[in-house]
Amino acid sequence: MNVERMPNHAASGEVVVSGIAVGKTFADGTVIALDNTTFEIKRGSFVSLVGPSGCGKSTLLRLISGLITPTSGQISVHDTPVTGPRRDISMMFQKATLLEWRTSLENVLLPTEIAGTPTKADKNRALDLLKLVGLGDFAFSFPAQLSGGMQQRVALARLLQTGADILLLDEPFGALDEFTRERLNTELMRIVAEVGATTIFVTHNISEAIFLADQVFVMTSRPGRVAKIVDVDLERPRPLSIQTSPEFNRLVEDVRVTLGAV
Amino acid sequence: MAEAAQSGPTKASAGPSRSLRNRRLMTHAGIFLTLIIAWELASRAGWLDPLFYPRPSNILNSFWLIYFKNGNVWEHLGVTMSLVFMGFVGGSILGIVLGSLVGLNGLVRRFLKPYVIVLEATPRIAVAPLLIAALGFGATSKIAIIMLVCFFAPFINTLSGVMNVNAEKLELFRSLGASKWQILRKLVLPDAVPIIMAGERLALTAALSGALVAEFIQRDQGIGSLILVYTRNLNMASSFACIFTLTILGFLIFRGMELVDQYIAFWKYEAGRERVSAKRRRAMRS
Repeated sequence: MNVERMPNHAASGEVVVSGIAVGKTFADGTVIALDNTTFEIKRGSFVSLVGPSGCGKSTLLRLISGLITPTSGQISVHDTPVTGPRRDISMMFQKATLLEWRTSLENVLLPTEIAGTPTKADKNRALDLLKLVGLGDFAFSFPAQLSGGMQQRVALARLLQTGADILLLDEPFGALDEFTRERLNTELMRIVAEVGATTIFVTHNISEAIFLADQVFVMTSRPGRVAKIVDVDLERPRPLSIQTSPEFNRLVEDVRVTLGAV
Repeated sequence: MAEAAQSGPTKASAGPSRSLRNRRLMTHAGIFLTLIIAWELASRAGWLDPLFYPRPSNILNSFWLIYFKNGNVWEHLGVTMSLVFMGFVGGSILGIVLGSLVGLNGLVRRFLKPYVIVLEATPRIAVAPLLIAALGFGATSKIAIIMLVCFFAPFINTLSGVMNVNAEKLELFRSLGASKWQILRKLVLPDAVPIIMAGERLALTAALSGALVAEFIQRDQGIGSLILVYTRNLNMASSFACIFTLTILGFLIFRGMELVDQYIAFWKYEAGRERVSAKRRRAMRS
């Protein structure tokens, strides 16, 4: 996993997550949350799922995570079908969902505890991850002693502690203010590049989706489906200022047209 | 890291300044003393019937009598408090265990719910004479009465605590592949601790009342029967001394439970979080 991450290498890597004709209906088939979706996601790539409410982006994420099962079709991760939650996939939610009675360190260690008994090495790894997300001095703080942004950083460290190489993020910074969110997005890009994880990121913010991703899955609703896949050929690392460049705006326009055309 | 500064200034401005607190304390003491003196004077002037409203000076004298000169209150106090303790522990354990079982098992809950509602609507103390009839006079039936009045608050609170687990946290545990047992031990039970503790506080206050009622009925030992004896002998000053003893006890129990809560559900208190946070940091270093 130490392979240097190159911009736009997504087209050449090995496929780690794939879906064939995936469909999901709720309420006895009357609500089609996701319709006949086929996709491939390559190792180490950063994919954003963007679209309006009800386009099935969260449903698709939950299907990949194994928290829900498809009504039709199949999702595979590392060439094996997804049948339930698994250790090579890890998920982060909009809320930090930290356990209030545990310190940051103990919260980060939760995935390890659930998998077995944490060793000294696990503890050191958790401490390193807290340093990586900028919370080295807050390993022994309780969630109530941290700000909302810091709590999400702990959740991010916990996500990485699982050791999963596929990270699913469901609007992870959506509840934070604009400034904190931008800063955390920048750090997220740096961190997933450093650990070489494949990342799938759900958002309803078009700029955010493009800014972070190698590929943007533009999703439309009724029925939920992937309408278009937009490749983002912007160089990394990307400064925040890239969002005012003509190339960036061309991509935003592309996504907007796709979303507006339906 | 600018986000971190938030816990700093709150410590210094935790409450009103010392001089303001002292002034308030003086005011309270002044009002209290005025009331006592007014009572004493009213009694001496014959405005209050000294038979039913004994003078504060007499009550104070009774305190001295029952605690030191005769020293007879200690034994009764000991009896009552050990009953309270046993009934409270028994009722709490029963409440927490049954509350967990009912809360975690949907089938049990469905069948038990009507009975819980019926039991909740019935004043528990009404059952006390039946318990004595069934178990006979003595400590056993007294403890049973206390358990009965103690049982309900921990039961209901445990029930709602284990049932209302945060859906997002549950999803997190499921996504991590946690077993049912891990979810119970690492999420459901710790999450329910603060609300269970709130139930325990109510239970302990109820336990003291339960003990008094049991002693009123049985009239053999304990502070409740002592009050009964003094009142029947028209020794109201000693009755008042007993009652004020219970006031102080009730207050100490309440404060004691608060302290216990600050230890067990420490993460709900700023001081508790800071204390445990520092402790964990030290533990890691060594």
